[in-house]
Amino acid sequence: MLEEKDLCCNGSAKTLILACAGGSNTGQISNKAMIELEKRGMGNAYCLAGVGADLSGFVESARAANTILIDGCPIGCGKKSFEKHGITPTRYIVVTELGIEKNHNFDNLEAETEEAIRKML
Amino acid sequence: MKIHILGSGCQNCMKLAKNAEEAAKAKGTECEVIKITDIKEIMSYGVMQTPAIVIDGKVKSVGRVLSVEEIKKLL
Repeated sequence: MLEEKDLCCNGSAKTLILACAGGSNTGQISNKAMIELEKRGMGNAYCLAGVGADLSGFVESARAANTILIDGCPIGCGKKSFEKHGITPTRYIVVTELGIEKNHNFDNLEAETEEAIRKML
Repeated sequence: MKIHILGSGCQNCMKLAKNAEEAAKAKGTECEVIKITDIKEIMSYGVMQTPAIVIDGKVKSVGRVLSVEEIKKLL
């Protein structure tokens, strides 16, 4: 859970990491990569669904932050959610552009996520 | 109209609340400015940074101390 020190007004922009978390291998890789990037100190995992659902707290938080947006595939649901609110991610990553083919096979997620993260860093 | 100021109660949050009060007064808008400092309640708005200003239930800005003029445009 966030603590008060994480939220408090220190004047510097936070980095938020958002992932499409869609129903394919690449969607799930985006989600696992988001968590891994947070563990590596690159920012805070955040809820893309909140932005997509037009919830004002999520939209304005994304607008105020530096953002790393990870989509699983070129359909770009995350990017479209951002565009709807005129937000441009600081860094945009599409998992399929990292050489991982989109499918519905979830057996190799660990290895594919490792490969994706290696290419993201 | 209800204005909620989300934040721990630090200087920036207090300044934002003061600006909101001034903006409402300048526009002649009847409103209540309520400061929310409880972290769980702040998180229920989904915000990841403070101070934040919420006008009639909608988060309008996060992580910035809006000026009186900026708030007037939101009212």
